[in-house]
Amino acid sequence: MIMQLYAGIGLAILVLILSARSHKTMNALSKIHAAAYLLITIYALMYTALPSYYLADRYFFMDHLGAFEVIISALLFFLSAVYSKGYVEGLMKIGELDRGNLKLFYTAFNLLLIAVTYSFLSNNLALFWIFAELTTVFSAMLVVTLNAKKNIGAALKYLFMASTSMLFSFVGLIFLFTLTGHALGAGTLNWDILMSNAAQLSPKILFAAFIFMFIGFAAKSGVAPFHGWLPTVYAKAPSAISAILSGSVSTVGLYGIIRAYAIVHQTSASYSASLLLMAFGFFSVAVAAFSMLAQINLKKLIAFSSIENTGLMLIGTGIGTPIAIFWMLFHMLAHALTKALLFFSGGVMHRQYGSMHIDRIKNALKLQPLASLGIIIGCAAIIGMPPFAIFLSKLYILLQAGMFSNWMLFGLLLLLLVAAGAFAMYLTRMFSQTGDDIEGAHVENYTPSRGMNASIIVLIALIFVLGVFFPQYLTDLLNSIVSELGL
Amino acid sequence: MITPVMIDSTIKVLIDLILATAAIIIVKRDMLSLISTYSVQSFLLFSMALVLYAENGSTMLLYLAVLTLVSKVIVIPKVMEKVQKKLNIKRDVEFHYLSPTSALFTSMFIILVVHLLLSRILAELQLSNMFFLGATVGISLMFMGMIIIFSRKQTITNIVGYLTMENGVLLFSLFLTELPMIIEVLIIVDLVMLTLMATILAFGINATIDEFHARLNPFIKISESKLFGVKQNTCGAESRASPAGKAVPNMQKFGGDMK
Amino acid sequence: MSASFIEYGILNIIFAVFVSPLFISMIKKVKALAQGRRGPSILQAYYNTFKLLKKETVYSTNSSWVMRTTPYVNMAVMCVAALFVPMILMPAPVSSIGNIILFLYLLALAKFFMALSGLDAGSTFGGMGSSREMTLSAIIEPVIIVVFAALAFAMKTTNMIEMFLGILKSGALFSNPVLILVSISLFIIIIVESARIPVDNPETHLELTMVHEAMILEQSGKNLAMMEWSHAIKQMLLMGILINILFPVGIATELTLAGIAVSALIFILKASVLSAIIGLFESSIAKSRLFHLPDLFMIAMFFSLATILIEVFA
Repeated sequence: MIMQLYAGIGLAILVLILSARSHKTMNALSKIHAAAYLLITIYALMYTALPSYYLADRYFFMDHLGAFEVIISALLFFLSAVYSKGYVEGLMKIGELDRGNLKLFYTAFNLLLIAVTYSFLSNNLALFWIFAELTTVFSAMLVVTLNAKKNIGAALKYLFMASTSMLFSFVGLIFLFTLTGHALGAGTLNWDILMSNAAQLSPKILFAAFIFMFIGFAAKSGVAPFHGWLPTVYAKAPSAISAILSGSVSTVGLYGIIRAYAIVHQTSASYSASLLLMAFGFFSVAVAAFSMLAQINLKKLIAFSSIENTGLMLIGTGIGTPIAIFWMLFHMLAHALTKALLFFSGGVMHRQYGSMHIDRIKNALKLQPLASLGIIIGCAAIIGMPPFAIFLSKLYILLQAGMFSNWMLFGLLLLLLVAAGAFAMYLTRMFSQTGDDIEGAHVENYTPSRGMNASIIVLIALIFVLGVFFPQYLTDLLNSIVSELGL
Repeated sequence: MITPVMIDSTIKVLIDLILATAAIIIVKRDMLSLISTYSVQSFLLFSMALVLYAENGSTMLLYLAVLTLVSKVIVIPKVMEKVQKKLNIKRDVEFHYLSPTSALFTSMFIILVVHLLLSRILAELQLSNMFFLGATVGISLMFMGMIIIFSRKQTITNIVGYLTMENGVLLFSLFLTELPMIIEVLIIVDLVMLTLMATILAFGINATIDEFHARLNPFIKISESKLFGVKQNTCGAESRASPAGKAVPNMQKFGGDMK
Repeated sequence: MSASFIEYGILNIIFAVFVSPLFISMIKKVKALAQGRRGPSILQAYYNTFKLLKKETVYSTNSSWVMRTTPYVNMAVMCVAALFVPMILMPAPVSSIGNIILFLYLLALAKFFMALSGLDAGSTFGGMGSSREMTLSAIIEPVIIVVFAALAFAMKTTNMIEMFLGILKSGALFSNPVLILVSISLFIIIIVESARIPVDNPETHLELTMVHEAMILEQSGKNLAMMEWSHAIKQMLLMGILINILFPVGIATELTLAGIAVSALIFILKASVLSAIIGLFESSIAKSRLFHLPDLFMIAMFFSLATILIEVFA
């Protein structure tokens, strides 16, 4: 019943958007769409017994992890829709977005929401693969809607790198299928069957399949060395979309890695898999931290911070203890919200100054107080300062890393320090540019719309609240996820 | 009359020809022949699916064969030809990191390595020889497709490389019976490519994905900055870190002297 | 060395020597017809050879014994090589006559002397032709070895005569479709070794496109006749190998007059078809740039290596 609800609402909204005429209608429909998904999932979480399976071959299912992810994404999409109202108007005013592309924008936006939701709710890994590819296609479509030529190059690069790596991941799926065919008699790609029979699968082949699958999903979530597309795409996409890319689409890749890791964890290949994840995670953090030092474009800086956080989450997954997984899941939530805050505030800056280049942003505090506050709080939050949410997850993941290996902890701390330093450098430079601007004297004050202000304020509130009050319900939810994953 | 040995030999012949087409794609420079080589490769895959269907009898293979024929032999090459005509690119002469000869040697090496690794990993499964061969060649085709993507600049060639990778996956999965969702998967992959090509057709990009190749041409930056008095900063933030950005001040020095 | 083998040897060599120029002019005729001309007659090569035999031989004052002996060496080598490729009579294999590697080395010997003679007269054309020929050879020789190795792998023996016997007995293509792959590579080798388009233009008068022609530019009279004749014999031998792999049907296995006559006619027929194919192939493409030729050879080598791998893997 739940699946049909999702599908039905999704289709209805799409049809309505295709026939809508004004921006306001389309935007309102998107908000309704995201809000509806959010409410349905919360309802399912609270009132139905999970995990529950849908469809004849049990291709879809909702367990606590899936529900958690859908809630995060739906929330993000909702806030982004609220923010888009004013942001897209602004884009159209300065000509960066054509009116004709508006329908494409909102269609792709809602299709992306559907694809993301269904990918989180897939039981069958091949189905998950299909929806992950669809998210790539739709997000590329979203990037292309802007009128810049460089956007097309960025979108093509993204499509290529993501799709090429997903092909590898499909080969991994084929291996898995062959393996189960021999071990269990009938080949299957359903995650629940794989989980319950994991012990019978040969560890060597399972690990080989895991490596292939990891390649694809890692490229999707921006793990180094497959991260080449990420800074360009995040920087070129409209800020509302960048928030979604960072919070939802990257999470699709990470979700795949977690599911695959849960299977491998039960066999003797678990140690090698953990090492693999931690190595790549550490490498991502290193690459991101050092690249951040040289950045002058605000959105690229934030993009590299996404890579860094994905690396941290990989390390958390690799460590594999229940505490680490618990806090890694929390980190997903916190990171999505904080990144959204950063991108939204950055978007306001972009509208104000017409560019994300640091030399152009002058007198920020005076001209855009709320957005500047958003950026400052966002940067403080993302490097892990209390009382914001990321502090908790970073602290515990680092503690767990320390229990695993002291050297890794030391290295991580250094790298995180480098990243924090990069942020500090950027912020200092950005906000200390005041005084008389000889050319910039004609910078008009841009008043962000109510929606944009509201979403920024809501996000600040959310990450503050999450950091200070940790609701019991969330603890229970995350604990049940950890136990479902068998970790 | 049709013995299993004959079917095995036919499969071997087809596989070898498929590898040859992949080698031709790696080496060839003429755009139209790249596209036609790709459709020949897809046609060989179609025949392979038919042969396997004759051996196995599973209807999934028949559907796959028809799907391959329609989308990969007819539709996609036609669309690519249209794109090529619109972009008016005839040749793709430059090779990035690998010259054609070394690319072919690398592919040969990759086939050997893949075979070694696969025989180690899949040893305990006791699979049939043909499946093993299909797996090796399928994965090798994927790597050869990646070589194509890395070593060429033009977008259409990159697309052909990606499609070769997809053919490799298809080849691998042909040897499996009853892989679920394979048809949907292939449709999605083709969809991705068609979206890409539709984008290119609609927006008519300048054919090279990597915009940083503009870096290699510092003279553009000089002429821009001299003629229009444009600050180099607005040429895009990402070009700041590029050598062109660093090269310009030097050239401007000389240019200033010559004034 | 039994008597039957000696008879086979004499027969084969005579056949090779006397029938080979036919196919050179046949290819020319096909190419001319493809271009819409009538072209020279089929026996033109014979007329040319006889004309040259009657002419005076002139030697450059700078040339040495190499120039004088090369034509005879080439001719002798080709006649010996003719023993390796049965065209009208299939004998029982005798020790190492028929060994692929030996065959390749014989061809290489002829090529070596030809290159030396090109340098011998001290003219720039000859030197240029020799250097180009040797460069291309350096790349194509490994390819040829790999192709023949693939053939050896497929037939499990290195003796060509044994191979042909095996193919004849087991019904050719239908029992071993992998031979198709080897045939494709062999076709490419025929094109390369007999200096045809796209590797080299056998009818060019421009030094820019000469490879083989440049080396024999200094030869005259009966020397020139012998050089061109040995070239024709080499081409026919390679064509013979291809025919024996693809369609050995019709070749005689016993020494009877009727059998030999029929076998000879059938071979000439098959070779004519092959010449027509070569001619059409030549007419349909253009000569490749010199620096693109290694790419073409690499594809052939890759193809043959893949054949070997597939044979070994499965």
